[in-house]
Amino acid sequence: MRDDRRPRRRGQGELEALVLSALREADGPATAGWVQERLGGDLAYTTVITILTRLLEKGAVSRERAGRSFAWTPASDQAGLAARKMRKVLDAESDREAVLASFVTGLDPDDERLLRALLGHARAAEDG
Amino acid sequence: MGVFVFLPLVLPLTAWPIARLAEQHLHPRTATRLLTAVAAVMALCSTVCLALVMVVGTAQLPGNPLPDGWSDPEVRAAVPYDEVVGKAAIPALCAVVAASARTLWRHGRVRRRAHRALAGLPGTGVAVLPDDVPYAYALPGGRRDRVVVSTALLDCLEPGERRALFAHERAHLAARHHRYLLAVRLAALANPFLRPLRTAVSYTAERWADEAAARAVGDRRAVATAIGKAALVSRGTPVATLAGLAAPGPVPRRVAALLGPAPAVRTWPPAFTSVGLAAWAAAAGTAVSAMSSANAAVTMFLILRAATPF
Repeated sequence: MRDDRRPRRRGQGELEALVLSALREADGPATAGWVQERLGGDLAYTTVITILTRLLEKGAVSRERAGRSFAWTPASDQAGLAARKMRKVLDAESDREAVLASFVTGLDPDDERLLRALLGHARAAEDG
Repeated sequence: MGVFVFLPLVLPLTAWPIARLAEQHLHPRTATRLLTAVAAVMALCSTVCLALVMVVGTAQLPGNPLPDGWSDPEVRAAVPYDEVVGKAAIPALCAVVAASARTLWRHGRVRRRAHRALAGLPGTGVAVLPDDVPYAYALPGGRRDRVVVSTALLDCLEPGERRALFAHERAHLAARHHRYLLAVRLAALANPFLRPLRTAVSYTAERWADEAAARAVGDRRAVATAIGKAALVSRGTPVATLAGLAAPGPVPRRVAALLGPAPAVRTWPPAFTSVGLAAWAAAAGTAVSAMSSANAAVTMFLILRAATPF
């Protein structure tokens, strides 16, 4: 029989986002215990520590020693975390152009000269 | 069926003229749809014929799982040069299937990973990511369609140009351009002669989004300068081109097209122009390709049924 009291399994990204958003609500550095309390005791203390450590590896949070434990500070917000993850996806896929239609493709030096000339004309026409 | 079974393998050559002319002479929407349809039909026909030839080749191999009757001389007589082409078709078809499966799998993986990367953000249609690398992407995902833009790219654009950028990416999503791009990509894998169509469609799809953006913001020049500026700030990744053959790349051509007048919307080009003749040639090639592969498939089915012992 399923244990209904157990919280449903959440994706890793979701937990990281939860912990990070809780941390951002703190005024200044916060301890893992504070984060756990803030999240409503839904997560075990060790889970919070694990997630914070993982966020630290990703550079999303920083920590400093405060007494016998650490005080954690968000290095950036969720958008920053998403940006880093997105960059990882983009860097990992050599032929990502096939999936994600990029706004522009690369330029070679001739293209660059031509493009600057075209934009120069456009600007001159606008001014004139 | 004779040599007809080989026709669909080489008929993609009839689409080369239109692949070259469409981008200048047709509306980008017409060009994208026409070229994708031609590429999809020709790729399908070419793969069917490859499979038919492969059956004859496989039946000759010792220990094959096919009925013994399938290697009868009558069956083999249906395919010219059956010894050579039959066996050559086996690795060819395997390569096509493997490459297509790999492409589909990677397509799904990039989309899944990109959506997962954005999972923590509020579910808005636009995701602005703080990043010092300039990029902008249309990330398709059904109801979770998203435009992903980095702050580095937004910072170098004026407000009007930002609107143009968003309109461009939304046009990609609204018209489901990723499906056209995936279709021509798979087609080019199925038959290498279809590669010029893939290149052409990836350009005309961008032009289609450019024109849609120009109409949406009502300012062709804003779209042109947005593309130009974006290309100049993200020029860190040069495209590999052969030095001697370097025609202007896609970005300058797009900017030049936007600085000119809007293209006329026509469903089919007039017959007695170069582009009209090219379009008819491609249409005829596609029709012959479809008929040859259908003829070959029916013939092969009848021959194999006659050769199968009951």
